[in-house]
Amino acid sequence: MEELLFLRREVAPELLAGLWMSIQLIIPSAICGLLIGIVIGTLRVYGNRLLKGFAGLYVLFFRGFPLLVQLYLWYFGLPRIGIYLSPFASAVIGFSLCSGAYHSEYVRGALQSIRRGQLLAAYSLGFSRTRAIFSILLPQALRRALPGSGNELIYLIKYSSLAYMVTCIELTGKGSILANFYFKYMEIFSIVGAIYLLMASVVSWGLNRLEDWIAVPGFDRPKI
Amino acid sequence: MEEETRGMAEQVPMLSVQDVHKHFGGVPVLNGVSLNLFRGDIKVVIGPSGGGKSTLLHCINFLVELDAGRIFLNGVRVNHTRKRELYAYRQKVGMIFQDFNLFDHLDALHNVMIGLVQVRKLPRSEARQRAEAELERVGLGDHMAKYPAELSGGQKQRVSIARALAMEPGVMLLDEPTSALDPELIGEVHEVIRALASRGMTMLLVTHEIGFAGTLANEIYFMDGGRIVEQGPPQKILFDAEQARTREFCSKIGRLHENSG
Repeated sequence: MEELLFLRREVAPELLAGLWMSIQLIIPSAICGLLIGIVIGTLRVYGNRLLKGFAGLYVLFFRGFPLLVQLYLWYFGLPRIGIYLSPFASAVIGFSLCSGAYHSEYVRGALQSIRRGQLLAAYSLGFSRTRAIFSILLPQALRRALPGSGNELIYLIKYSSLAYMVTCIELTGKGSILANFYFKYMEIFSIVGAIYLLMASVVSWGLNRLEDWIAVPGFDRPKI
Repeated sequence: MEEETRGMAEQVPMLSVQDVHKHFGGVPVLNGVSLNLFRGDIKVVIGPSGGGKSTLLHCINFLVELDAGRIFLNGVRVNHTRKRELYAYRQKVGMIFQDFNLFDHLDALHNVMIGLVQVRKLPRSEARQRAEAELERVGLGDHMAKYPAELSGGQKQRVSIARALAMEPGVMLLDEPTSALDPELIGEVHEVIRALASRGMTMLLVTHEIGFAGTLANEIYFMDGGRIVEQGPPQKILFDAEQARTREFCSKIGRLHENSG
């Protein structure tokens, strides 16, 4: 009982503050990451040679470098060339760029899976290439990319804990500080883990609802 | 566009295809194909598979880039390198594909509406009205809210015809519109094409249905090896062709139809 009171009085407010910081990191990173992914994925399929090359290099770099190393570069490395980013900005930029690289691969795969006839039909009606991509191909491709991109969102929730390594004290950071202070690693990290599990479960549920909402009969999700 | 000087007395074709060449990976597919479509013409292209029929239609719509040759619409040469001109040309030349190519994420109504809204920039209410009218016309008034996966092959092809017609094209290119259909669904698409013909629509149709072609066309082209081997009125091409290759093809297809009938 005393233990519960202690957790409620001393630990919960701190962890909630950490959770709030995590949410503030995750939401903009998820949005920016998805937008970057759509742009880079589209360029990899439909860009000209130069843009395809740029998008390919982007994916190579941001998917190949460990995320922690990227965060160190933005936070500790950039001041070397006179650019000073806050811990929060470093984390959001790092998460967005890395997440965008992964999203782009899901979008690329989805775009490549759309039958060429869809593009030809759009052209035959007088669509420009850009308009056909945005009006016809991407709405289909994003439906196909959603399961993979949703997975990336769940990853983002978990790897947002790396922000702690560039002094942006989010949920894991708060948990770590509290555990060290009270020497209660088992209790506090169990709670921290459970909160991540809860966040991932809520997002996963939301993604399933979204998949149902945008489902088109006969398009990718046959009802069995 | 580059104006072509023409004699005053000469009637200008709506669509003129001149000396079109196309190679795929060094293999010639079209070897100098030329044809003219005048207003109200219904011309049918027949021939063996791989003879270049579909490629010809794709080239006319610039869905495949020409190696050489010229396309004229109402006497004006189409410069496909000018994007705006190309998009405007494609709106005037409707295209029907063998495998329908309906937009899978849109229901029948929105398949027909999307070109009107996105390309013709019509207000949504007006586009909706026109799309509903076109779907009614092809007999799909009760199927507007259905997605492509919920429609039969014949219904899909009728939606694709309604989608092309909604853009008010002057000429229709139909690339084997019934070849992907079950035999019992072919009739409903033929009916729609006949209705189009009776409205005076100018059409270039690629088909293997020579019986249908014979009753519809005012001229038939027989294509083989990327060339127009022979052309003429249906009676002549189907029953009294000059070229041995044409006779051989027509008699084989005729026998096939007799046996299957």
